[in-house]
Amino acid sequence: MSDTASIEIDGRTLEAPRGAMIIEVADRHGIHIPRFCYHRKLSIAANCRMCLVEVEKAPKPLPACATPVMDGMKVRTASALAAGAQKAVMEFLLINHPLDCPICDQGGECELQDVAMGYGRGVSRFSERKRVVADKNLGPLIATDMTRCIHCTRCVRFGEEIAGMPELGATGRGEHMEIGTFVEQAVDSEMSGNVIDVCPVGALTSKPFRFQARAWEMGSRDTVAPHDAVGSNVHVHVMGGRVKRVVPRENEAVNEVWISDRDRFSYEGLYDEERLLEPMIRRNGEWSACGWEEALAFASRGLRSLVSRHGADAFGTLVSPNASVEEAYLLQKMVRGLGVSDIDHRLRDADFSDQEQAPLCPSLGCSLAEVETRDAVLLVGAWPRKEVPILNHRLRKASLAGARVMVLNPADYEFNFRVDGRIVVSPDAMVDALASVLSGSAAPAELCPGVREVVDGASHSEDAAAIASTLADADHASLLLGPMVARHPEGALLRALARALASATGASLGQLTEGANAAGAWLAGALPHRGPGGRSLERPGRDARSMLRDARPGYLLFGIEPELDCGDPALALSAMRGADFVAVFTAYRSEAMSRYADVMLPIAPYAENSGTFVNLEGRWQSFEAAVRPPGEARPGWKVLRVMGNVLDLEGFDYLSAEEVRGEVESLVEQAAPIRAAWRSGERTPWPREALCRLGSVPLYAADAIVRRAPALQQTRDAAFAGVSLNSAAAARLGLEDGARATVRQGDACIRLPVFIDDRLPDGCACLPAGVPQAAALGPDIGPMHVTPA
Amino acid sequence: MPEIQNFTLNFGPQHPAAHGVLRLVLEMDGEVIERADPHIGLLHRATEKLAESKPYNQSIGYMDRLDYVSMMCNEHAYVLAMEKLLGLEAPIRAQYIRVMFDEITRILNHLMWLGAHALDIGAMTVFLYAFREREDLLDCYEAVSGARMHATYYRPGGVYRDLPGQMPRYQSSEWRSDADLSRLNEARAGSLLDFIESFTQRFPQRVDEYETLLTDNRIWKQRTVGIGVVEPERAISLGFSGPMLRGSGVEWDLRRKQPYEVYPDVDFDIPVGVNGDCYDRYLVRIEELRQSNWIVSQCVDWLRRNPGPVMTADYKLSPPSREEMKGDMEAMIHHFKLFTEGFCIPEGETYAAVEAPKGEFGIYLVSDGANKPYRLKIRAPGFVHLSAMDEMVRGHMLADVVAVIGTQDIVFGEVDR
Amino acid sequence: MSKTRGWLKSFLLVELFRGLMLTIRYMFSGKFTVRYPEEKAPQSPRFRGLHALRRYPNGEERCIACKLCEAVCPALAITIDSEPRKDGTRRTSRYDIDLFKCIFCGFCEEACPVDSIVETRIYEYHFEKRGEQIMTKDKLLAIGDRYEAQIASDRMQDALYR
Repeated sequence: MSDTASIEIDGRTLEAPRGAMIIEVADRHGIHIPRFCYHRKLSIAANCRMCLVEVEKAPKPLPACATPVMDGMKVRTASALAAGAQKAVMEFLLINHPLDCPICDQGGECELQDVAMGYGRGVSRFSERKRVVADKNLGPLIATDMTRCIHCTRCVRFGEEIAGMPELGATGRGEHMEIGTFVEQAVDSEMSGNVIDVCPVGALTSKPFRFQARAWEMGSRDTVAPHDAVGSNVHVHVMGGRVKRVVPRENEAVNEVWISDRDRFSYEGLYDEERLLEPMIRRNGEWSACGWEEALAFASRGLRSLVSRHGADAFGTLVSPNASVEEAYLLQKMVRGLGVSDIDHRLRDADFSDQEQAPLCPSLGCSLAEVETRDAVLLVGAWPRKEVPILNHRLRKASLAGARVMVLNPADYEFNFRVDGRIVVSPDAMVDALASVLSGSAAPAELCPGVREVVDGASHSEDAAAIASTLADADHASLLLGPMVARHPEGALLRALARALASATGASLGQLTEGANAAGAWLAGALPHRGPGGRSLERPGRDARSMLRDARPGYLLFGIEPELDCGDPALALSAMRGADFVAVFTAYRSEAMSRYADVMLPIAPYAENSGTFVNLEGRWQSFEAAVRPPGEARPGWKVLRVMGNVLDLEGFDYLSAEEVRGEVESLVEQAAPIRAAWRSGERTPWPREALCRLGSVPLYAADAIVRRAPALQQTRDAAFAGVSLNSAAAARLGLEDGARATVRQGDACIRLPVFIDDRLPDGCACLPAGVPQAAALGPDIGPMHVTPA
Repeated sequence: MPEIQNFTLNFGPQHPAAHGVLRLVLEMDGEVIERADPHIGLLHRATEKLAESKPYNQSIGYMDRLDYVSMMCNEHAYVLAMEKLLGLEAPIRAQYIRVMFDEITRILNHLMWLGAHALDIGAMTVFLYAFREREDLLDCYEAVSGARMHATYYRPGGVYRDLPGQMPRYQSSEWRSDADLSRLNEARAGSLLDFIESFTQRFPQRVDEYETLLTDNRIWKQRTVGIGVVEPERAISLGFSGPMLRGSGVEWDLRRKQPYEVYPDVDFDIPVGVNGDCYDRYLVRIEELRQSNWIVSQCVDWLRRNPGPVMTADYKLSPPSREEMKGDMEAMIHHFKLFTEGFCIPEGETYAAVEAPKGEFGIYLVSDGANKPYRLKIRAPGFVHLSAMDEMVRGHMLADVVAVIGTQDIVFGEVDR
Repeated sequence: MSKTRGWLKSFLLVELFRGLMLTIRYMFSGKFTVRYPEEKAPQSPRFRGLHALRRYPNGEERCIACKLCEAVCPALAITIDSEPRKDGTRRTSRYDIDLFKCIFCGFCEEACPVDSIVETRIYEYHFEKRGEQIMTKDKLLAIGDRYEAQIASDRMQDALYR
């Protein structure tokens, strides 16, 4: 028996894989069958009955989405019987649909309208009253008009199968069936916005986009989302030079057909009132707007005078990991052209001692699509759900397919899939925990000196041994290091342990970086110790943390807000305040920035910029600007090109971003493999009396654009409650849920409410980083004192 | 020896007898035309290109503006082309309405031509009388479509609205006695059809009046007889159509030769000329006025007896009635989609032509299956006629150029399009 | 004989006198012109003149910013910005008709699902300054308010045919 069946649809003979549904085969061959409930990424419900087709020898029309093909089957999609059935179904669907088209946002892109036009009757025969259903409150992102619902249950299935959170469900039967949230609560999935796309009618629509524009008036431009290292492909819908909404662009290799809410709704942040619209310079403490020529001359003079006074130590350059490859490359070229080598994009990293051994750029260790085929995955210091939602979706698919996903985390985070092994320890104990996993592995690998001692000193635990053996037993295992590892003061040691564990178990080792283009920044040479394409440097510069610790006379900031984007905000702020000259390339003008900066150059963020991002699997994705930047703002690469010329530097005569990309690409192609002696990091002494701060960056505090997106900021994920502790630690410290506490890190001291969160291990207190409330505090992960206020 | 050159004269584009924006560059030997070179394009509005960027229905209004003195005939060719590709036939009543308004349009056009032609050659009065009758017909246009010229009235599948049951009337004013008012409103007491019928009864005498003023008039004959003679064979090879062709004695009329709508069911004759000069073309058009009037009266008669739908009931192509749209979901969706996206026409190409007052007005339509034309080509009779300008005026006097422009019945909306 | 008659007719200017007789007769017959602007020609209730935006009898504007008129406008004369009003309803924040672009085809009125945008009988208007040809929402609503009785009766008369 062969694997394929030969069937005939509308007179065309087609080969189809056995077991495929008629509708899949028809779709593949461009034969359109109307449907509402069928969605190729969701399970088959066959409840809308719109796809009824005539199958020879079947007494009744059959639903194409739920009828598997059989050899010799003859299907007619438009015969009188099929068309009659489709027409009848359409008539039933419209009986209770309100006459909302003129005020419905879906109007013009509505599947119900399209199918009614194509397959329905011209006039209704129904003249009785229509039903009305109360709207649900689905939070700040999704607007509901439940009367329009046709009960296709796509959203319900999306929630169960894709988001992994059965938030929406159907209650009642027949006329009384309603879709609603099980608990009348906001939809909290980080992918919830996809129900807007999935909904074939106007029942679920985008709330920020409500009544803003019609589908036909907007132009669609392709770009890449800038908020995480997946680089989701998106369409940006543009009207009148403004981004009106963002929808997913299908790319099976990257984001399939989904995007995260962060990528979908962040565009609102582009139109924040803090947008910097013209270059500004500060003279005698007064800010004044000026032209580009003047501002660039001012900035160049400032940098030049720093260089003439301090030479190679003149200024530190901090570049956002969201900057494009082109921007990172031109910036390092400009800075190095001035003879300065202090440049870094690893703003939140804390331990740089193993940077020489690091590969050319961080990567996932396998492609995004391959994540689905893993048998075992160990996540260390990672919560992909709230860090890289699309990757989390891939992990979830792997888990549903039987993969064993295990975690070693500083808090017992919720996952929307089964977790097969769980070690939750305070950040200061992560090294020991990982070492015990390594020591539990059956075949300990070759260990370098520093690691050997740690492993030898590690305690043995059943859980750890189970994790190690699961990894070792799997054919395709992955070890993924999350951002908590990069930010960890013992990061180098953790990485060394992970590397040893990976080689011992045969797992691939991957890193989940922060920002959209960390890999690109590595390749473009926005690093103190390597030039573009991994070139070694004569004189390495300072890393991001040292640049701030050894305060520099000047700073050059590119697309960052140091008080929110750096791993140690208090240190960053004091360094900025102490500097003689701070030049900032930025899209926004913040209150803090106007206090320390001397010149602010408006650059274009995402959607207004062209460039390239390299995602966590190493995929280069170029994009064009979708809209013109407002005011005098210009794409960063253009500003840098002009500034390079103003500074009289060689080689800044690029005509396009592609030209810059080409140059970086050829440098990367010529890159020599990294061969450095393997070395582990140092152990950090943790003060016993202090709690360990866990400063994870909340989903909607990731970058300047997201922080300014109003709808996202109203979600529960963005809510800031204060400092959280588990109940044991709270009791020990004499703190109650809701009480106010004094939080101290070094000299910085603030007062915050306390709430009890038993997901946290003992000895650990969670206080998010990247939020304004914590902008005065010290390192993300480090000792912190919490006392009753 | 001095070089002797012909005198070159720029005629138009602002010359009152140039019928719009025609610019003729005339090479003259004394007062005799050696060569006439028409320059066109001053009224180019890219109608064909514009149509490629709009849903089908949205271009109907732009067809009015091609030959802007025979508006509905242009619309007719366009909707016929769409209907041909759609395989759609308008209800019979709509076809009668279209034929009636085509003929009303023909009368409108010929009246305009007659008045302007006579005025160009030196007869003032006919212009005034012709406009009096045009006024009545424009009132018909307004009554049925709401616009006096650019009607946008024909639609694929019929016409937008049925004929109104009441004709608007003159209001009383202090400037007019009651008797006078009732004289003006005499024909307006009833419906539009009543009004048109009374017009058809009045009109033959009016045509007699024009003829009294012109047909035997010696000045008129001196200016038109023997001017711009085109032999029948030459007229055919030049691509002439309409009265220009029939004036040369070729019996060719699309209404009979390639009948469309209900023309096979109405009775009329095709007048033809003998000599192919301006005077014969004048006589042909005058007779066409009478024939058109006769067709209109037959249509009025039929329309009175046969009420019915004027638009196809296929809501995939024509929007449902407003009452249905407001009360019923299917109708609402169809209304919404038809007014935003319009309808799609199956892939294919077609040529549809009507016997417009000036000749064969055709639309060549290519559809790629989308909701807007892939290509739209307009075959305008005036363009063909104008290209024979050189041949027709060569050897004539300068003053005869005006007579030839008049007899060609040039309108720049369609020539430049 | 006929040749002689023809010569005689020609010599006596018969056809010219016939023409003159006709025109002289008209000198004494009733006038068919109107004394505009004191007196006006009759107007059809279907007349497509200046636009207006209408309100419901309770004073609420009819327009719901569905943008059908904007979509159907062949001349792209209509510009609409929409947004949720404070009460959550869909409303226009801008409704401009550029009368220089408008071709008065009447499609906007046909498309309007709530009889909001209409073409009135008004045809006597002029602009003195650049920019006045843009009919804003306020201007259109004001026209609608002023001529509502006429507009409503015209729609009523024509309701049978639409």
